[in-house]
Amino acid sequence: MQSDNSDTSTGKRVLCVEDEHFISELYTRALTKAGYEVDVRLDGDEGLKAAQTDVYDIVLLDIMIPGITGVEVLDALRDPSKTPHLHGKVIITTNLEQREEVRSEIERKADGYIVKAEITPRELVEFLSHLDA
Amino acid sequence: MGYFQTFMRQFRARLFLVMLINNVLILADWYIVDQVVKLTGWWAFLAIIAVPLISLGIIPWLSTRSLTQPTKFLWQAIMHIAPGTASEVGAPAPEQLHLGRELVTNLINQLYQLTSVVQGMEQAGAKAALDIHTNFIASSLPLPLIVLDKEEKIVFANEATAKYFDKPASELAGQDIYTAVDMSFSTEETLHSWLKSVKNKSVTAEHRWERVRTGLPGQEGGLQFDLAAYYNQNNSSGYESLLVLFDHTATYSEDDQSLSFVALSVHELRTPLTLLRGYIEVFNDEIGPDLDEEMQRFMKQMDAAAQQLTAFVENILNVAKIEDNQLTLQLHEANWPEVIDSVVKDMRLRAGVRGITITTNIAENLPTAGADQYSIYEVLANLLDNAIKYSKDKDEITVNVIENKEGFIETSVHDNGVGVDESILPHIFDKFYRNHRNQAQIGGTGLGLYLAKAIVEAHDGNIWVNSKVGAGSTFTFTVLPYAQLKGAGKVGTSPEITRNAHGWIKNHALFRD
Repeated sequence: MQSDNSDTSTGKRVLCVEDEHFISELYTRALTKAGYEVDVRLDGDEGLKAAQTDVYDIVLLDIMIPGITGVEVLDALRDPSKTPHLHGKVIITTNLEQREEVRSEIERKADGYIVKAEITPRELVEFLSHLDA
Repeated sequence: MGYFQTFMRQFRARLFLVMLINNVLILADWYIVDQVVKLTGWWAFLAIIAVPLISLGIIPWLSTRSLTQPTKFLWQAIMHIAPGTASEVGAPAPEQLHLGRELVTNLINQLYQLTSVVQGMEQAGAKAALDIHTNFIASSLPLPLIVLDKEEKIVFANEATAKYFDKPASELAGQDIYTAVDMSFSTEETLHSWLKSVKNKSVTAEHRWERVRTGLPGQEGGLQFDLAAYYNQNNSSGYESLLVLFDHTATYSEDDQSLSFVALSVHELRTPLTLLRGYIEVFNDEIGPDLDEEMQRFMKQMDAAAQQLTAFVENILNVAKIEDNQLTLQLHEANWPEVIDSVVKDMRLRAGVRGITITTNIAENLPTAGADQYSIYEVLANLLDNAIKYSKDKDEITVNVIENKEGFIETSVHDNGVGVDESILPHIFDKFYRNHRNQAQIGGTGLGLYLAKAIVEAHDGNIWVNSKVGAGSTFTFTVLPYAQLKGAGKVGTSPEITRNAHGWIKNHALFRD
């Protein structure tokens, strides 16, 4: 992944679990420019393993990924027996359209829910910067 | 046997008595005629025969009644219980018998007992036939069928039920239905609340629920079914409610996983859209400043086009939701001037591309509105979008907001564009209806106004249009003051829109900057 070359490093690490290479490329580019350190994983199992190391401040979790789905990863991350400690925020990203109940159910478990087609990379960066606020 | 012997003894006694009297009479007769009166010859003969002849006439006649009494009583008893003649012949009273009373009484009692035994057997037979009937139906029925008693406990569950819930029938019997089957309903009225309400009000009642589920959405092994319930207050066998389940787990779960055609298409459309918008932003930010005016304009237009495409994708989704009754609104208290300002701010970019200005005139002291901010934003965005589309370059669009005579918040969007032909006006809010003349030059799908109308009406408001060809159009819609909606109990229960908490709405507003 690109090394951090921005002047203002936020010191924060982002895990991007996304199987669409072009999308993760755009997000990584924008996030890196904004001072984040970004790692990308392409499937659910790898994503879960990486997230469980608990080194990430933000986890961007796509729902439709190979291996276990984003929602299953989310459940595992929220299960204390599987993930004893997780300090980072988990944001679900998706281009799926879901029934209200399903979406609310997911939103409850996550720290955010984003429809990828509705934001640009810069807007994603803005959104993440407001997370701690 | 004892009774019969007693009877024979009694009968013999009477017979003996009768014959004794008869013989005594004859002897006495002979004695009187021969020894006392001393008749001879023919007179003597006639006098002697007279008595036997007379007693032959009288004695049988006198004794028949008493001798046939037992038979008569028996006859009476039989006629009394025989189905055809029961009403005509009264029950005998064997206490009045002299001859053979014990025998006849005993026989009559046996007769009565026999009758009730026969009746009992008939009833049992009928019931058995019925039970076979119901049991056959219940066990052959391929749908889960559950019968509840007055306490809503399961008194009967057929085999299909046991198979459906993967529990042996013995485990289900006797349990209360809510413990045995953990059902969640998509309506406010649940089985429990419905039973509660009908128990005191109706003699019979029926209800159907769709999409009842066990387990959580998306959970493995959860079942989804339609439920039909029948309640009968007066069933004598203690059965009170009957439930039948129609399984739809396969089809409903598919819906849940959003694999319906529209949802799938939307997903396919969104992926390239995400990329397009991302690249456009990169180019805009990093190359844009170095490009000449024309190129910069092209970049802006490309951006606007991508946003339009995204909006359309959103629209078709919403239309699908409306069709499917899935569009849910949460009406909250909204500061209307703020709502207007935020939409107008966002639309100014697209307007600015062609030099079109948007002016707002918002009345002072407006009441707070009852609105679902997300969808009402879409309505305003749609109206402004149309106004921009149909305006000429450098035109002015005006947004006026007043509190009208009925106390509603009335918002109108006025443009000086091409206007709408009279013939089209009545159809303008129809789905996919487009003005054919303009179709070639102006993009759009014909869904925006259809959606706008659905959303406004879901807010209990109204939307209408005034327009003239060449003189522009004014689209007006009303929303109710929050106070009015609250009074009618129509507002949402959570203090904040869920998505706001995650900054989603803020993101949407950052859309165009």
